[in-house]
Amino acid sequence: MQRIISFFRHIFSPVPEQQLSPEELRIAFRKRYANFRGLLTANNNALQAMADLEKVYYGGDSYRMAFIRSKVTTILVNVFKMIRNLLAMSDGKYKELETIFERIGHDIDAIIERRPDIRQGPFILPLAEVNRQEKDQAGEKMANLGEVAAIPGLTVPQGFVVTSSATRHFLTDEYLVEINRRLQVILPDNLEEMYKGCAEIQQMIRDSPLPPDLEELLYVHYARLERATTPHCRVALRSSALGEDTAGVSFAGLYRTVLGVDRESLVAAYKEIIASKYGARAISYRRKRGYRHVDIEMCVGCLVMVDALVSGVTYSLDPGEEESEVIRINATAGIAKGVVDGTTITDLYLVSREKPHAVVYREMRQDQAASALTYGQIKKLAEAALLLEQHFGQPQDIEWSFDHQGTLYILQSRPMLKSRAAEPEEDTARMAQIEEREAPVLLGGICASSGIASGPVFRVDSAETLCQFPPGAVLVLEHPLPDWAPLLSRAAAVIAEHGSEAGHLATVSREFGIPALFGLPGAMTDLVDGEVVTVNATTRAIYRGRREDLLRMQTVRRNIMAGSPVQRILTDLLQHITPLNLNDPDSPQFKSTWCETLHDITRFCHEKSVSEMFNFGQIHHFDQAAAKRLVGKVPMEWWVIDLADGFGDGVHIEDKSIRIDDIASVPMLAIWQGISAVPWAGPPPVSVRGFGSIIFQSTMRPELDPAVASALTVKNYFLISRNFCNLSVRLGYHYAMIEAYLSDLLTESYVTFRFKGGAADLRRKTVRARLLADVLQHYDFRVELNSDSLLARLKKKPLEYLKQRLQILGYLTLHARQIDMVMNSPGEVNRYRDKFLADIEVMLAGDTPPILGESDHGGE
Amino acid sequence: MAESKKLLLVDDEADFRDIMGKYFSRRQIGFEMAGGCMEALDWLGREDFDVVIMDVSMPGLDGLECMAEIQKVKPDTEIIILTGHASINAGLIGMKKGAFDYCLKPVDFDELLEKIILAREKAAAKG
Repeated sequence: MQRIISFFRHIFSPVPEQQLSPEELRIAFRKRYANFRGLLTANNNALQAMADLEKVYYGGDSYRMAFIRSKVTTILVNVFKMIRNLLAMSDGKYKELETIFERIGHDIDAIIERRPDIRQGPFILPLAEVNRQEKDQAGEKMANLGEVAAIPGLTVPQGFVVTSSATRHFLTDEYLVEINRRLQVILPDNLEEMYKGCAEIQQMIRDSPLPPDLEELLYVHYARLERATTPHCRVALRSSALGEDTAGVSFAGLYRTVLGVDRESLVAAYKEIIASKYGARAISYRRKRGYRHVDIEMCVGCLVMVDALVSGVTYSLDPGEEESEVIRINATAGIAKGVVDGTTITDLYLVSREKPHAVVYREMRQDQAASALTYGQIKKLAEAALLLEQHFGQPQDIEWSFDHQGTLYILQSRPMLKSRAAEPEEDTARMAQIEEREAPVLLGGICASSGIASGPVFRVDSAETLCQFPPGAVLVLEHPLPDWAPLLSRAAAVIAEHGSEAGHLATVSREFGIPALFGLPGAMTDLVDGEVVTVNATTRAIYRGRREDLLRMQTVRRNIMAGSPVQRILTDLLQHITPLNLNDPDSPQFKSTWCETLHDITRFCHEKSVSEMFNFGQIHHFDQAAAKRLVGKVPMEWWVIDLADGFGDGVHIEDKSIRIDDIASVPMLAIWQGISAVPWAGPPPVSVRGFGSIIFQSTMRPELDPAVASALTVKNYFLISRNFCNLSVRLGYHYAMIEAYLSDLLTESYVTFRFKGGAADLRRKTVRARLLADVLQHYDFRVELNSDSLLARLKKKPLEYLKQRLQILGYLTLHARQIDMVMNSPGEVNRYRDKFLADIEVMLAGDTPPILGESDHGGE
Repeated sequence: MAESKKLLLVDDEADFRDIMGKYFSRRQIGFEMAGGCMEALDWLGREDFDVVIMDVSMPGLDGLECMAEIQKVKPDTEIIILTGHASINAGLIGMKKGAFDYCLKPVDFDELLEKIILAREKAAAKG
């Protein structure tokens, strides 16, 4: 409320005279208005982009870094525009916003550009020297295999790891910039383009020469393997990626393994595996699960090939048989590749985890009986599996081979994936099935924040009801105004008749994780306070009662991006973007210095820009010579100043008067309809006491003395353009202002009414302001009332609706004159309220031709 | 839309210039094209343009450097920067250096058209 008081203080305190010519005034207005429009548009764009980010963040579907970057840029640019526009409108009053914006922008940049820490190490490490500590050099797979090599009783093939340091030595930043440039333009939806682009990137890597020092080292280490085994030994080159450490993300089978490699094909095979990081499947998988390419680094294991008699895969705990707890072994003749790929027919053994590891189930699917595992082999495999499980502390997925000498080689051991929850697609289908059981009481609207919740309905339409809001209730509103934001921490869900996913309240709903369903007509009328409903914002439906079946669905949703680097980045980014700390414009904390997020800045700029527009007519005292007198059969004197295109054709600048037919300003014409709809009944009969108070006030404030009329006290001014109107009515004892901008774009449109003062004592003036407030609230205005100052506002409504409201304001401006004199009698108050409402209804019914007063009714 | 002045498209990619040229012609928007900054400056020396649409990544002087040059010789020209995903930071940097707006490639034509209209309004307001 403090704000209103200071506003009026500002209006009524003398402003230094600043005479502007009509032309200067027009330019000033046009500039300010262009900035205001620009600010509103930027505000919408910024909020929409914030909503887009939150939608993907809370929605559970996957999103890409490119998406985040583009949305963040949209937000930054639009917030920047808002600040620039506000500074232009306010002559640089809020300059500190620039500093705050720079600081937030800097934090955001740091998060977006965050890279994994890189430690430079040797290009090649012998497998025997590798352990988990070397993970950032050797990659997951080889780091694990190095650990296995150190476990007594287990054998791994001899080999070495070409490290991530070597990869960076090969694919230098120059290459990465080029690769990233190509990746950026590959759209995820276009598969054909994706495969083509990936093939090109991979070819580029194959065609690039290995640095000579790295190539030489490769040969040196290969020669060592030869010496340790046999000359011309064949090796297997396996991918060992880095950064795939998130639980539930498998990365299985995305990268290449090249078998039977000799000295001649060694370099080519190495490059092949490095290139496999950019395979189409790997790229789309990373995108889907929230990994940036920079998050994954490729290392290469080079292992002497085992002359395999039989190979296979062991799960130390069969995921399919959780009850019985058995070891599962799939085996095939020769090498293990086919088992992993799933391309080869395998024999299946289920083996007890207890000694002596009896085979509990056997399924022989291969033709060659020769490849069948002996009990000795099965026992060895079971012991190895339990050893590995014990070492790594969780069930393992193990790849192995037996050579012709009967030695068991462990080729790979990694944590087993836990069984996955139902896919989201299945959930939706199940949900639809359940929901068919009973028809929703309301259906439609816009899902502003997805989710399901239940609670009793509580409708809030005023500050009083706000205070009574019970925790856990479903908040039902007409407009999702930011003012209601404090309720969201207590609400189970929020429903509004208007609004979209881009508003402040939508943002806050997502922040709190409560379902929000906006733009749902009839919510305020069809829902009854206290009735328990279940809101499914995701399917945009409201059901009677508490629907446990639906509420249970809520827990099933699984976030595919959970724990990924991209999700972590977005989590951190949103902290600087969406939380709203500036909720209440009346609070002393509603200051630029309290802006902590980009959302705060948008809210602040928007609020201040509106005030700056309102102040236009007051700050810029206009040259009265520019005003034209409105002539015709009109009560009182009215003067019109054209700011831009408010007059029709054929009006000359020199003209001293103008007719209503020459006015082209849509909002002015609407106000005028209201002014001229019902003739003014003249001043009410005033008691002696009432009259005395006028005289008293006049001696106290000489400017109110009708005898010393200044220009402003006798003239009523319209400042107009085609879509804009600011009417100042200053009739001796009271001040009224109507301002409106009407546009086809809802976001640009608003109507504001301010009213203050009167000749009577404060109590009667206050009663009159209260009476006006009642009438305006009846017609959906948002009203703020403090003593005898009234501020009523409407925003984002359709053109016809706003035109009607302007008529109402025009009517009230004329008819509320001087009634403060009789506002000491409750009967009179009611009589006027009833008369006003009745007149307005007749007027809005529309068919009354405007009645223009035959003679002037005289001013106050 | 203001009738007299033309807009200037600056982009080193011939394919992109072709597409945009067809688009502008279809909407009867007067335009000229330049394949680089020098060519753009030549055009600006010869004729009046109210709006310049300029790609950020060009060989030689890049879009932001070129914008600085244009601002020296034709300060009233409104400039719309085109950025790719790889150069998206240039959007904000360009705005801070006085660009009217930015557009992300691949370009959404309707979005670009609205930005052109608004840029022209602003250029016209300057005189």
